[in-house]
Amino acid sequence: MSGSNRLAGLKARPKDTTVEEVRRVDEVGEARGFVDRTPRKKPGRKPSPRTHQLHPKVFPRVGEAIAAEAERLGITQGQLIELLWEQYTSE
Amino acid sequence: MPVIVMASPKGGVGKSTCAVLLASEFARMGAQVTVLDCDPNRSLTRWASHGLPKGVILHSDVGRSEIVPTIRGADGDGKIVIVDLEGVASQMVSRAISQADLVIVPMQATALDAEIGSEALALVKEEEEALGRSIRHSVVLTKTGAAMKSRVQKELESQLRGAGIDMIEPSLVARAAFSEIFAYGGDLTAMMKDPEMVTGGKVDKAVANAQAFTEAVYERLK
Repeated sequence: MSGSNRLAGLKARPKDTTVEEVRRVDEVGEARGFVDRTPRKKPGRKPSPRTHQLHPKVFPRVGEAIAAEAERLGITQGQLIELLWEQYTSE
Repeated sequence: MPVIVMASPKGGVGKSTCAVLLASEFARMGAQVTVLDCDPNRSLTRWASHGLPKGVILHSDVGRSEIVPTIRGADGDGKIVIVDLEGVASQMVSRAISQADLVIVPMQATALDAEIGSEALALVKEEEEALGRSIRHSVVLTKTGAAMKSRVQKELESQLRGAGIDMIEPSLVARAAFSEIFAYGGDLTAMMKDPEMVTGGKVDKAVANAQAFTEAVYERLK
């Protein structure tokens, strides 16, 4: 069995692929237990890459000032500490 | 050109093996073959990772919503599309069947395989009714004995034929090369020529079996 001339005789039958036809096929399949088994995505927001935690003890006035500044900038306290660290290491 | 779909809601019956053998044999005949790996186990993708035969293109990770447009996109002059599905009863199976020119239901000669495989055959019949057109479908027995037919195989063949089911002859014999091809990639003829590839079986017999099986499928596509 060789030669592409033999394959030239192979034919595909015309098939409709309308939305209506796919819906009908889905209905027939579901009735026989052939249901949608696409894995569902995990709900909720994706976890932050900021997984490391610091537990520094500071004076209340420093802690309050950091919290207020972070709120004013619209960032988290962790992000503020990252900015401060960046500035500290660049000096 | 035709779309061939391997369908059975049961796993481990030989769908991926049939797909690989047909893809490599039709490519050897000169066809441009597109294989769609729709099985999350990615058997065909693993096979392809070791090297695809010339003339074979693989699409991996085809999902339910993409299957119909992907088949349509791959179809064309001189091209054969082979779809390998997961061994579950899913909507993807019913959608793929609707696009098929030939549905092949592989099954081992066991009562369990026959019972679960018959679900796919029943689905084809119901889709034919719903769509108002015929969808050619056939059963191929897999992992059969090389020397002789078992009593169970003879009974099963008789029952299926009695029910009007088209049986592809020859069946696919349990050959080491059919399993090893997933470890080496490529096709059986490359395996036969390369002494580095150790199969522990008779590759020439496997090649002859695969070619006769492909010839029988070809006859059904004319």
